[in-house]
Amino acid sequence: MKRNMAKLLSVAMLGLSVAACSSNSSSDDLKASSDPGTNSAAPALSGDDLAFSKFPKPVDVHIGMMVDPTDKTLPEGDSVSNNQYTRYLKDKYNINVIVDWTAATGNDFKQKVSLTIASGKLPDGMVVDDRSFMTKAASSGLLYDITDLFQQYQSSQVKDIMASTDGRALENASYKGKMVSIPNITVDTDGVHVLWIRKDWLDKLQLPVPKTVADIEKTAKAFMDSKLGGNKTIGIAGPSKNTYPYSTFLVSSNNMGGFDPIFGAMDAYPGYWLDNGDGSVTYGTTTDTTKKTLALLADWYKKGLIDPEVGTRDNVGDPINANQTGIFFGPWWNGGYGNGDSFKNDPTANWQAYPVYTDDSKWNAHMKTTGSTYTVISKNAKPDVVKAILIMNNALVRDEATFDLSVSVGWYPLRNVLAAANETEYEYAELLKVLKGETKPEDYNKPNSLYKLMYADAKKVQSVIKPPYEELNVGNFNTSNFGDFQRLYSILIGDRPFTTIPIDKKVFSVTYNQTPTMETKWANLKKMEDETVLKIILGQAPIDSFDKFVKDWKAQGGDEITAEVAGLLKK
Amino acid sequence: MMRKLGHQKHYYLMLLPGMVWLVMFSIVPMFGILMAFQNYNPGAGLLQSQWVGLENFKYMFQLNDSKTVIVNTFIIAVGKIVLNLLIPLIFAILLNEIRSLRYKKLVQTVVYLPHFLSWVILSTIVIGIFGYYGVVNTVAGMFGFDPKLFMADSGIFRQLLIGTDVWKEFGYNSIIYLAALTGINLNLYEAAAIDGANRWQLIRHVTLPALTTTVVLLGVLSLGNVLNAGFDQVYNLYNPLVYSTGDILDTWVYRLGLQNLQYSLATAAGLFKSVISFVLIFISYRLAYRYADYTVF
Repeated sequence: MKRNMAKLLSVAMLGLSVAACSSNSSSDDLKASSDPGTNSAAPALSGDDLAFSKFPKPVDVHIGMMVDPTDKTLPEGDSVSNNQYTRYLKDKYNINVIVDWTAATGNDFKQKVSLTIASGKLPDGMVVDDRSFMTKAASSGLLYDITDLFQQYQSSQVKDIMASTDGRALENASYKGKMVSIPNITVDTDGVHVLWIRKDWLDKLQLPVPKTVADIEKTAKAFMDSKLGGNKTIGIAGPSKNTYPYSTFLVSSNNMGGFDPIFGAMDAYPGYWLDNGDGSVTYGTTTDTTKKTLALLADWYKKGLIDPEVGTRDNVGDPINANQTGIFFGPWWNGGYGNGDSFKNDPTANWQAYPVYTDDSKWNAHMKTTGSTYTVISKNAKPDVVKAILIMNNALVRDEATFDLSVSVGWYPLRNVLAAANETEYEYAELLKVLKGETKPEDYNKPNSLYKLMYADAKKVQSVIKPPYEELNVGNFNTSNFGDFQRLYSILIGDRPFTTIPIDKKVFSVTYNQTPTMETKWANLKKMEDETVLKIILGQAPIDSFDKFVKDWKAQGGDEITAEVAGLLKK
Repeated sequence: MMRKLGHQKHYYLMLLPGMVWLVMFSIVPMFGILMAFQNYNPGAGLLQSQWVGLENFKYMFQLNDSKTVIVNTFIIAVGKIVLNLLIPLIFAILLNEIRSLRYKKLVQTVVYLPHFLSWVILSTIVIGIFGYYGVVNTVAGMFGFDPKLFMADSGIFRQLLIGTDVWKEFGYNSIIYLAALTGINLNLYEAAAIDGANRWQLIRHVTLPALTTTVVLLGVLSLGNVLNAGFDQVYNLYNPLVYSTGDILDTWVYRLGLQNLQYSLATAAGLFKSVISFVLIFISYRLAYRYADYTVF
């Protein structure tokens, strides 16, 4: 029993250590926030000279780090705190990276971050993967106000990338008007979900590429009837027990295996706060179009077209990688990066990406926020340490393409993805030019380019892809360097829809952040939503239970929150 | 007195690590329960956070979830307690009747095994067995049943939890019974046999009465676990479809505190559980003393 009590009170336990350390952390931190130039050796530096300056004396940076336990790219003898990236930082900038703790990607890391924030003892820097962590830490006064230092120390590249979002990234990284974290900026296409389909299966059955929801139903049925994925062929793959049927305003991108394109094709945007145009907002899940789409999905499930184990599977990628299914939905990188084993298991798996259209041939898509991870810096960090973290960020953006990427870049301390919002589209267009001989790889050899990986990709592309270049299929790709294959497959096939086909209706959420009332009430409402949606799809609850859900949702805080979100419109 | 202490010094030394552990992980964290009465702010710490009295508890009971998870926890835990008493008892008696020592040892070893595997591993196995294409559905399919998605069926999720837990633990739990069985005086069996008792009657009139104290004791002591439905197991097996019957206090606290950062509310829920458990433990020790003459102190 005592053991169980200890388990229960683990949150409380960390609370106590707070009491021990809170006394020494109040006075000397406030003044630290804005005193530039304490770095005595560099009084006159500015711009990129400052952004890449080397410290005269070693600076220790303590970090908490996410590690991928399945990654095997680190050479023998190297470790999380001693590898090519930490040595690079030491040699070039005199930055000593000290790893205070590591946690495995996913829930382990989230749990560690949550406990770290609860304890009030943050390492100098860590990258958190949920905005609520950032806002919780900021509202508790645990974060360094980097507004001024960031302005001074950002490199021109970082500045350009930040600017490519029209200030949305800065807003995303700020709390109450102060910049308290370095945001990541990911490509817009991460939030655009498309249909992934086995073109080789379509060809085998002499079927056209499905365009509408009705087409997809027919195609899935044909795939199953012909048992193209073996006896256990799954028509359409769906979310696992850890993923969601659709992306939401809080997690607005990278929803592999969700049904986002189906909702879009039915003009439904569940999980998004929709601007009604008259000063009011609606929560997308509560709309009639969402109800209709759920009824459709429930019908598909009943007919056996959707993975029977939807919502309970361990891993969303399993049936896709095992080539049991020929249809799933996800963003550009899901084919290539996301389903590598599918190609290993069947080199002829010709996954192709297409939009799903409404019955009147429109492509509707919901759009993501700028990014969803945040490099947070402890308010107890010394100014030099803050500068060091900013320099680390600059250095990665400038030099990522020059690193030996056979060691996963995930080992870079405080790795933060900063990509121009349209990087993938730019690369798609330019790589095709390189392939067709219109440009040469050397044309892209521009230092400090906004598109930092372009030159490296341009040099590789000709060795990975064989002609003809008109309609790229899996057969055009050379898989001998599998990492290169995955990246180029994702860009040139996965991003083709978003690059070449205009979206007719782009839907943004009114907000991508939590409002004050959500902090206490959202968890309950979200649970209700998740439960209702899955139960309807799986036929465990009748479609009419949707109406009761909407009523309960409104009564239990939904109306209050809707009013708060509507208030944001007035700003 | 001092001489006695000196004589037993090494015992106290052996006790030390356990005591340190207890203080560090059970006594010290107790101060953290203050959080339940605050709007806890990690930056301000325990001493400076705003006090809100019983606000967190009030809010907790306003949530529909609280009722659901308390009911679920209670049903699942009671189911586990009862079956974890009965099944090992039956198993121990049956095993005791086996004559071949080698076979007995083999069976014992095999049934102990799952106890040593964590739910992280076992959950994958369980999901596999009860999956759509798992063993259960395949066998049922041979008899013409339609495949069923067990893991998503809130109607049978509790039974599944209880069943798999009993399967995992019954071998290990039978150890105490087996120990008690070896303590039964063989003369009793001999005497009963001479009186003409058959095997069944031996079990009924000799073995079972001899085990009563053990059963009562274990039953009473497990009362303190009435609100422990097994976090590891539930967390690794559940999904939103079975929240209505499978969500328990511990998983709820986990989601509130660690996933939604509502530290104070989570602490309040945890404290609520601890207080109820404490009362039950208190009662159970009184009952244990009364009916089994068992005392801890």
